[in-house]
Amino acid sequence: MTDHKLLVRRAAVLGAGVMGAQIAAHLTAAGIPVDLYDLPSDDKPRSKIAAGAVANLLKLKPAPLASKDLAAFITPRNFDDDLAQLEHCDFIIEAIVERMDIKKSLYEKIGPHIHADAFFVTNTSGLSITELADVVPDALKDRFCGVHFFNPPRYMHLVELIPHPGTDGKVLDLLEDFLTRNLGKGVVRCRDTANFIANRVGVFTMWSTMHHAQRMGLGFDTVDALTGPAIGRPKSATFRLADVVGLDTMANVIRTMDAKLTDDPWHDLFKAPDWLGKLIEAGALGQKAGAGVFRKEGKEIKVFDPETGDYRATDYSLRDEVKAILAIKDPGEKLAELAKCEYPETEFLWAIHRDLFHYCAYHLAEIAESAREIDLAMRWGYGWNFGPFEQWQAAGWKRVADLIQADIDADKTGVKAHLPKWVSEVDGAHGPGGSWSAAEGEVSPRPDLPVYQRQYQPVRLIGEASHTGQTVHETESIRLWTLHDDVLIASLKSKMGVIDTGVVEGLNEALDKAEAGFEGLVIWQPQGPFSAGANLKAAADAIQRGDYDSVRALVKGFQEANLRMRYAGIPSVAAVRGLALGGGLELAMHASRRVAHLESYMGLVEAGVGLLPAGGGLATLALQANADTAAGDTWPLMEKRYKQVAMGQVAGSAMEAKDMGYLRPEDLIVLHEHELLHAAHGVIRSLTSAGYRPPLPDRTIPAAGDVGIATMKMLLVNMLEGHFISDHDFEIGSRIATALCGGEIDRGTPVDERWLHHLEREHFLELCAMPKTQERVGHMLKTGKPLRN
Amino acid sequence: MSDAYIVSAVRTPVARAFKGGFRNVRPDDLLAHALKHALAEVPGLDPGRVEDVIVGCAMPEAEQGMNVARIGALLAGLPDSVPGVTVNRFCSSGLQTIAMAADRIRLGEADVMIAAGTETMTMVPMMGHKVAMNPKVFDDNENVAIAYGMGITAEKVAQKWDVSRADQDEFAYRSHQKAIAAIDGGEFTEIRPYTVTSRVPDPKTGQVREIETVIDTDEGPRRDTSPEALGKLRTVFDAKGSVTAATSSQMSDGAGALVLVSERVVKELNLKPLAVFRGFSVAGVPAEIMGIGPIEAIPKVLKQTGVSKDDLDWIELNEAFAAQSLAVMRTVELDPDKVNPLGGAIALGHPLGATGAILAAKLVHGLQRRQQRYGMVTMCIGTGMGAAGIFERV
Repeated sequence: MTDHKLLVRRAAVLGAGVMGAQIAAHLTAAGIPVDLYDLPSDDKPRSKIAAGAVANLLKLKPAPLASKDLAAFITPRNFDDDLAQLEHCDFIIEAIVERMDIKKSLYEKIGPHIHADAFFVTNTSGLSITELADVVPDALKDRFCGVHFFNPPRYMHLVELIPHPGTDGKVLDLLEDFLTRNLGKGVVRCRDTANFIANRVGVFTMWSTMHHAQRMGLGFDTVDALTGPAIGRPKSATFRLADVVGLDTMANVIRTMDAKLTDDPWHDLFKAPDWLGKLIEAGALGQKAGAGVFRKEGKEIKVFDPETGDYRATDYSLRDEVKAILAIKDPGEKLAELAKCEYPETEFLWAIHRDLFHYCAYHLAEIAESAREIDLAMRWGYGWNFGPFEQWQAAGWKRVADLIQADIDADKTGVKAHLPKWVSEVDGAHGPGGSWSAAEGEVSPRPDLPVYQRQYQPVRLIGEASHTGQTVHETESIRLWTLHDDVLIASLKSKMGVIDTGVVEGLNEALDKAEAGFEGLVIWQPQGPFSAGANLKAAADAIQRGDYDSVRALVKGFQEANLRMRYAGIPSVAAVRGLALGGGLELAMHASRRVAHLESYMGLVEAGVGLLPAGGGLATLALQANADTAAGDTWPLMEKRYKQVAMGQVAGSAMEAKDMGYLRPEDLIVLHEHELLHAAHGVIRSLTSAGYRPPLPDRTIPAAGDVGIATMKMLLVNMLEGHFISDHDFEIGSRIATALCGGEIDRGTPVDERWLHHLEREHFLELCAMPKTQERVGHMLKTGKPLRN
Repeated sequence: MSDAYIVSAVRTPVARAFKGGFRNVRPDDLLAHALKHALAEVPGLDPGRVEDVIVGCAMPEAEQGMNVARIGALLAGLPDSVPGVTVNRFCSSGLQTIAMAADRIRLGEADVMIAAGTETMTMVPMMGHKVAMNPKVFDDNENVAIAYGMGITAEKVAQKWDVSRADQDEFAYRSHQKAIAAIDGGEFTEIRPYTVTSRVPDPKTGQVREIETVIDTDEGPRRDTSPEALGKLRTVFDAKGSVTAATSSQMSDGAGALVLVSERVVKELNLKPLAVFRGFSVAGVPAEIMGIGPIEAIPKVLKQTGVSKDDLDWIELNEAFAAQSLAVMRTVELDPDKVNPLGGAIALGHPLGATGAILAAKLVHGLQRRQQRYGMVTMCIGTGMGAAGIFERV
């Protein structure tokens, strides 16, 4: 075992089920080849089951593989013939069926083949790690623990790390480092208690929601309207989530809680509602069965009504009074209003929050090191905006505690459990020094593992201290700031990183300041996506007024700022995560380098709103296609680039973005989103240390010209005749071709960026003037969805 | 004027493009194989007497560029003195070569000619490796159909000639059924098997391992297809159309070759000819409905040769698409029982420029086996043409 870092040269995943195969897929994204094991087949090939699981990875949505090419790095294996191969693996994770006897016999079988420095862990979600450790061969015990991924493992940030009493502490530190740095996960250390943390709280919440919904007689559609984004949780809310998970699985989990948590004060209430049993009996198991709580009938989605035992039309509307309460900004005031219980909906919402807070406070000492673990687990494993303790604290710690206590005193909670004493002894669960540990009776600071030094701006919980750097310059659109004095950071302030005149001005200001006094410039958004694109609304308003001059000025200003960044005397880095679309991507394309989180979704999607990329995106693609094929034929790459823009394709990962040319070969992909800023600083420093020189300006390339345009039009005309695109799509596609190919000029004529920018701009403006483009823009602004006209 | 006698006609099996048995076999090697067998089957013929080797190829570039005819002839062991020329009229190239070879004999300019065709769609894609459209195509609407893919033209034919999706599916299904029956009945007597040698690294021994595979059967026909399965497929060329991948010809690799001689050589060597080539016609139609080309070419060739439609016993109508095949059959009133009795390109594949030679070989052997007299090979041609040639068993 190395002291400072777990080096995983090769990994093995035992069990090629849904979780096992997807964990293998994610390991390949981290650059680790994987042996994927499952049972042998009687006929050849013997590893058919594992091979089938690999093939299935290519079909699953959302895609478990960051790039289809990665499937080749998962080798199908079987438990009978290939165990000797385990000796090459440094990290072995078991994800087979949740049966103690079967796991025991597998552990005995593989024990002799695992090398002395390898880590052996289990992905169990239901069994006790301590009991499993009893059946782990002695030689492996100190390197054994639970590493619990959430489904789907590529996309869910949470991994729970669960030791047994014999796990070496060093092993846990190395694993936490590896899971964070290499796999990009958010690690939460858990105690070895039933369902660990996220599922313990998550399933309790699900049960409590069902219980109170039934009690208040609320329809499942109403419950989903109340328990989704309205209270800071994902759109799948409660019952859509249950359908996705599977109602049979739900019932099983509730049964497990019933069997395992016999000492839990809420135990007597852990009964699945009657309707759940009836639906399961009828085969309505949820999404996988085509029907569950919800059922799709033709185009309509209907909801089960336990009163009638039949499905009815959904109704997600809420009464105005309830909507008004949900709209209250101040969390404390909102919760107090809910606690008045004036309506069934508010009584329900108060009850599920009260029970959640009560349950978490009551069990904190038993299930988690501190309140931090519970809140992070719910954010990362269940997609909640805030964890339970944060919500409580935001609403006023003492005020909420009193409300809960009042309900306990009035016997409204239905359980014989009091609020633990510590609740009244603290001002909140989180503070500048850390989070409350009920087990230790003191504040527990954040872990100080070296890997967390790489997270310059980690997730901070409500109440925790956050370090937001030194502001250098700030406007309504942009904040220029610095963390380490040497690098200037520019952060767009709108939620979606929208680019407008203010941003362009801010970018120029940033370049002025960076050239004057910094080593380089990083563009990074503290929250949300890198950038969803240009501000359509501002452009649409100007077009509405017939003010094309201001649109032209806006476009030209953006092009020039982008060029300025490209040729600036200091290096720039776009640190991308999430969406980088349209103008947002063009901004990133003009930085000296890009560092991108694996989950970056990049595309020039302007065609969807009837426009074309006019921030230098097409010019950049043409220049790059030429540079990338200097020794050969540029055309095949030009055609590929053309198709991806004309069809508005978006890369499904940073790896795919490399293939699409939106990331360059020298750009870096980062697995952990909170390490982006660290990586960006590193790139600036490495460029500076090598004596940064900007690219030479005014380079010319031979245009694809009239023949290029005609050949692209050939693709379009076939799609038009085949009714795959509309006349306006043809119009847009022709103009994209024209701008990309340098216009209707002789093939091979030298053109430069300025000429290509001129074409982008003029065709952009001409499209703006077309009613069908205006319809597209209007539709996008109104509905958020593209219009095909 | 001497008649042009076909004294030998052979072909390779037709393999599926990209994943088939010929995926690593070059078009010049396929051609050399066909040429060698065609010549070997003419007893007593000195190869040095071949006046010219005319080879059809629809995309004569890359592996099949550089005058593939001459290269194939040399690889086949023909003496340096025998020349070679590659001709291109897209899908009729392999029939065009027979017409050109026959003409030299009929004019008395040559006694022995070889007509052939070769194409690997695996190595050279349809339209070639580099497409570069003439901008003038889009100047007005008149010539825009030059830019149409073949599938779009098939859709236009289906629409204009009112060929239903169900009829196309049924036609495609029957093509497969007929081809499978022909394979099982041993009807493809013109096939000369090809042994593919592939070389792969063997990490265990550190040696290069050679694997020999004999390809002796056409790979296209599917035993597992059904009208229901075909009915479920989505259209590929037109979102609102009727043409599917299964009602289009398959992309394939293959070659065919025929030896044609004058009456003098027949007598001199005491040969038993398979057939006489009676005549050939080609005609132009609008590019956007290229599939109906045979509608113009068939009456033209019948008139020219004086053979009546009813005299025809066997018609090889290249199944570029079910839609155009049915439109042609209905318009010219061809007897469906006489058309493609052994299945067509939808089942058996369509290696573009080789198809004419392959269909001719299939036809003349068929006429011999069934003791029938007149046969015709006809096809539509991209950018709007049709070709037809008449063969008579002797």
